[in-house]
Amino acid sequence: MDKLGRILMVEDDPKDVELTLTALEEYNLANEVVVVGDGEEALDYLNCRGAYSSRTGDNPAVMLLDLKLPKVDGLEVLQSVKSDEKFRMIPVVVLTSSREEKDMVASYKLGVNGYVVKPVNFHEFVNAIRELGVFWAIINEPPPGSIKK
Amino acid sequence: MERSDYFATKTTPTMLRYCLAVGSFALALGLGLLLNHYNFRGLADPLFLLAIAITAWYAGLGPAILALLLSFLTFDYFFIEPAYTLYMTSEDVPHFIIFVLFASLVTRFAAVRRRVERDLLQSRDELEKEVAERTQQASLLNLTHDSIFVRDMDNVIAYWNRGAQELYGFTAEEAVGKRSNELLHTIFPAPVEDIRAEFLRTGRWEGELRRTKADGADVVVASRWSLRRGEPNQPSAIMETNNNITERKRREDEIRGLNRELASRSTELEAKNKELEAFAYSISHDLRAPLRHMSGYAELLQKKASAVLDAKSQRYMLMILESAKRMGDLIDDLLAFSRIGRTETQKTLINLEQLVKEALSEVRQETDARNIVWSIGTLPNFYGDRSMLRLVFVNLLSNAVKFTRTRPQAEIEIGCDAANQDEIVVFVKDNGVGFDMKYVGKLFGVFQRLHTAQTFEGTGIGLATVQRIVQRHGGKVWAEGQVDQGATFYFSAPKP
Repeated sequence: MDKLGRILMVEDDPKDVELTLTALEEYNLANEVVVVGDGEEALDYLNCRGAYSSRTGDNPAVMLLDLKLPKVDGLEVLQSVKSDEKFRMIPVVVLTSSREEKDMVASYKLGVNGYVVKPVNFHEFVNAIRELGVFWAIINEPPPGSIKK
Repeated sequence: MERSDYFATKTTPTMLRYCLAVGSFALALGLGLLLNHYNFRGLADPLFLLAIAITAWYAGLGPAILALLLSFLTFDYFFIEPAYTLYMTSEDVPHFIIFVLFASLVTRFAAVRRRVERDLLQSRDELEKEVAERTQQASLLNLTHDSIFVRDMDNVIAYWNRGAQELYGFTAEEAVGKRSNELLHTIFPAPVEDIRAEFLRTGRWEGELRRTKADGADVVVASRWSLRRGEPNQPSAIMETNNNITERKRREDEIRGLNRELASRSTELEAKNKELEAFAYSISHDLRAPLRHMSGYAELLQKKASAVLDAKSQRYMLMILESAKRMGDLIDDLLAFSRIGRTETQKTLINLEQLVKEALSEVRQETDARNIVWSIGTLPNFYGDRSMLRLVFVNLLSNAVKFTRTRPQAEIEIGCDAANQDEIVVFVKDNGVGFDMKYVGKLFGVFQRLHTAQTFEGTGIGLATVQRIVQRHGGKVWAEGQVDQGATFYFSAPKP
């Protein structure tokens, strides 16, 4: 695994963060995960501003995005990313509890690359996260300008 | 009434009229000769003039001219010297001219007088005819049920029919001569000047008026006015036709009130639906997260501590995980159920046999190696939401599979009641454990279960979902069963 992509995870619930990281750890995918707690921070990270002003300007290989977020919610983040020339190529996967058709339709209309409902069952959850991680961080060729390990 | 007077000249035979001319002339001649005989001279002139005048008066112009001619010749023959010849001296010419002029004048006067008389008679007859017609019209107006009255341009009532009496309670004697607006306390829908201006311009007006009857009760009438113009084209009278619409107005008001109430109810309902949607959304999001954490951490704990946990603790762990899973299933099912009520149905024409095959292939995955005899009858086309209807069959078929689990050979039949002409009735029949008909009312309720979780698993939401989908398609669901004798589930829908 010499070509591991960086994963930007936007998730406000620390328990979900911990469980996701645990799931990814089992497959050695946890190291390159950047976790941000809300939509504003996610946009700060991408734009290299605020707390991330010192970061080099490469884009993540994939962005795992929760929908229900404090300050700027997931759909708003998605809209900003997909309407910005610099970021529109970043693959975005919505990772949410919501199975609501409304959210799903809105996400796809905004150009999301994947929509995953977090399974309640931990096994399924781990499987889902692992497959996501493996696909986006290893199998998928990210667009030019993404951070590679 | 003698109606033919003025036709006298026409109807009296011509012969008779000329006889009158000759007769009166002869009489004048006889009298003249007689008087002449007794030396009363100079009387022949007036006698002949009299005869001509009488003829002109009674027999008309033609006979009068005849009388004049005869008189002229006879006068010349008998009374002008030399007598008994038609010879005439030049001194007599003025005499004759005056005679002829005078006779013509008399004839002319008589003719004029006759014409005047004839005209008078004619207009009298016309008047009589009109009076008769009007009388007939008035009595016809009295026969109608509509209320009709006529008022002059000062609103003074001139005619009042029986319908008006029945509507307003005033007799014709009480109403005629009164001002209509004062008698009936009319309330107009617009300023009365505007109404009058429009009415005078167009000659017609229609509208609703509020009036007070003789007994003091209020009445609403649909009123139509038409303007009568006299000579020379001046407005002379107004005819008003009125229909009592009090009851209709009352019902309209009632309907308006009900509609208002309905509108406010649906607004309320809409708000409730929004609330429910927000509620479901919040359940979907917020309730699942802690559940996921519970199950996640329990799993992690199980993995970490399984070496040090005894059998009992292992079981506790398992129970926690199972419960979390069950709650997750319940939430998912409940959300799916609530979504059916909220999402729009997208109706197309569906081939039911195809749909049943799809549902069957999905259900078969759970049937393992069981011995199930499927029999699928002819099914009609169905107009409905494909994905929803698929869910109906998946639920009904998996129920049938589940509740025939105890049978060595399960028999499941899917068919259509062809006898029903009015609607489509589809059934799913099994030879499973059945149910007691006294609980049939509970079958389709949310979270209602007739079996313990140990005997038959499930969340109790499948049949509620079926019912909701079928109801959204305008049909109904029902079931028949007997304990240990199998069950049949039916659903109906309008024919496409």
